[in-house]
Amino acid sequence: METTKTAQSSPASGALLGKIGFNPAGILCVLLLLALPFIPPFNQEYLLRWLIYAAYIATLSVGFDFTAGFINIVNFGYAAVAGFGGYTSALLAVNFGISPWIGIFLGGANAAILGLIIGMISLRLRGIFAACLSWFFGLALMGLATKLVWLTRGPLGLRTPRMFETESNVPFYYLIIVLLILTYIICKMVVNSKVGLAFKAIGQNMDAARTSGINPVFYRVFNFTLSCALAGVIGGFYAHYYGILTPNVMHTTKTVEVLAVAYIGGRGSLWGGAVIAFPFIFLMEIVRSTLSNLPGLNLVIYALMLILVMIYYPGGFSYFFDTHVRQSKNKIIRALLNKK
Amino acid sequence: MSDNLKDSIAWMKSAKGITILGSLLLATYATINSGPYILVNTIITGGMLALVSTGLTLMLGVLNIAMFAHGEFFMIGSLSAYYVFTPISNYTTLHPDSFLVIWGPLVAIFASMVVGAIAGIISEFLVFRPLRKRASDNWVMNSFLLTVGLSVLLVNLHQLIFGADFKGIIRYWGGMPLSFADVFISRDRVISFCLSVFIVFLFWVFMSYTRTGRAIRAVSQDATGAQIVGINIETIVLITISLSCALAGVAGGSLLFMYPAYPTMGLEPLYMAWFVVILSGLGNILGAVAGAFMVALLKVVTVEYVGAGWDFVVPSILIMLVLIFKPSGIFGSEVRGVLDT
Repeated sequence: METTKTAQSSPASGALLGKIGFNPAGILCVLLLLALPFIPPFNQEYLLRWLIYAAYIATLSVGFDFTAGFINIVNFGYAAVAGFGGYTSALLAVNFGISPWIGIFLGGANAAILGLIIGMISLRLRGIFAACLSWFFGLALMGLATKLVWLTRGPLGLRTPRMFETESNVPFYYLIIVLLILTYIICKMVVNSKVGLAFKAIGQNMDAARTSGINPVFYRVFNFTLSCALAGVIGGFYAHYYGILTPNVMHTTKTVEVLAVAYIGGRGSLWGGAVIAFPFIFLMEIVRSTLSNLPGLNLVIYALMLILVMIYYPGGFSYFFDTHVRQSKNKIIRALLNKK
Repeated sequence: MSDNLKDSIAWMKSAKGITILGSLLLATYATINSGPYILVNTIITGGMLALVSTGLTLMLGVLNIAMFAHGEFFMIGSLSAYYVFTPISNYTTLHPDSFLVIWGPLVAIFASMVVGAIAGIISEFLVFRPLRKRASDNWVMNSFLLTVGLSVLLVNLHQLIFGADFKGIIRYWGGMPLSFADVFISRDRVISFCLSVFIVFLFWVFMSYTRTGRAIRAVSQDATGAQIVGINIETIVLITISLSCALAGVAGGSLLFMYPAYPTMGLEPLYMAWFVVILSGLGNILGAVAGAFMVALLKVVTVEYVGAGWDFVVPSILIMLVLIFKPSGIFGSEVRGVLDT
């Protein structure tokens, strides 16, 4: 509640928060996430592992929504791009001894080049064709990772050095939370600027956008490059957290997982996926581990959720939040949402 | 005569001509170089792919649904064929001269077709119709994401109900393999290939010469116009979905002896069918058949010369090239713009 007071008392800090896409409620969520490893049920290592996985999916879903929710192109090879970044970083660490801390950014840079390529070659395509192209790109990448056994050790898995030399999961947890917040802030700042307006215009009606003087070439390529770069960095984290990297990380089902979270969270909101990923992934993991005699039940629920949300509530969680919570008359809630 | 010659030269210079001639050349070269089994494998894989991809192209052309769950209908087909054929096979081992020895597999394959069609109809009622009623803007993308969900759902329902193990059979008919041009091919493969050719032919006749088939094509060209001349869109949609899912189901059922049923078996036919559809353009059935054989050739040649497991990499790179230089596909000039929103 301390942060709420400061936000209320000084409008300058509220404006600053708004600029980076946060309101006091968002800050509270972040504080909760930061405190989570010390709250009793979550201080066990296996629950922390679930939390880290949830944060990983949440971060990817922010980057995914940056493309899907704004320029309206589903990057169906997103997990493959993340895996590509992870493999880059892992191979650099294994073969040249480059520290993972530098490696994940090199992986991000490499994935950015990949995103540049995907963005450029998908320029002539619209909607579903661009999605197909990125999907085939992902398939080809995964095929390469599986078959270049001399380089990646294929399905056997590449052993990678971990970022922290401890058995504890807590530092990894804080690192991925920082990455999540950074990803969110970067995406939000871009989206809040003029560039974001251009993205939305392109996503809604490309011809109209072109008529009003927006050059779709630059914006589409830029969007792909940035979102793939973020995916590459996060993939690097994945590689150096689990310590073993298999081509499975690039599989289409991983993209589907990210996609489901992003869409249930609400497309075009960026924060929806990040918020919804934690309870959602957690619930799935609980279902999976407690009902282990019914394999696949968690994914059935997953798919049912996706289908129901797509049909009956296409706005997702963020739409629900905007229509029911944000319009609230309650003073405390209004203060939390940074409203005067 | 010279006009004919000019026409044929122009055809050869078109994208169609180049690809068809190129793949024929590749096929001949590979056959001479490595033996006729390449040709045989290509034809048999191509027959299966033609079934799956005609269904997919129908879905895309008529309903604008970019189906991601098509492989799961393949899986449903092979699963139902397994559960129909197992008791039949138990019966025929006890009664070897029963008429079911010959007709049993056909019953199983027919059952897979029927179950596929029913699954398609159910998914139309439970999934696509509610979406169509509620929102029509951005239909292509939304329905695509919906089929993604459907695919995950069906895969995991299979795992939940039937388990994740391989449910396969050894043979349908068995017997001595037939020999063509020094290649021995099992009888099952020959019969299933003949069956798929027969079904694709029937399908083509249906689409070209019957009233319903013409109505389906009319809807694919212009839904509003079709409605004006008195075609009931909802019926056509239902028929199209059941047909396309039945085609996928029968492909799964007739190939049960090669691909045993397990939850994620649908992914490979799905990739391949998408390759075919992108390569050949949308809504063009004969183009999809030709494209199916091309992709099959590509796959077989890749496995032969580059190695097993590369058959995702090389075709997907080639398909990407096709998408970059000719986004409407090779045969797809007529129906260009269906998805261009």
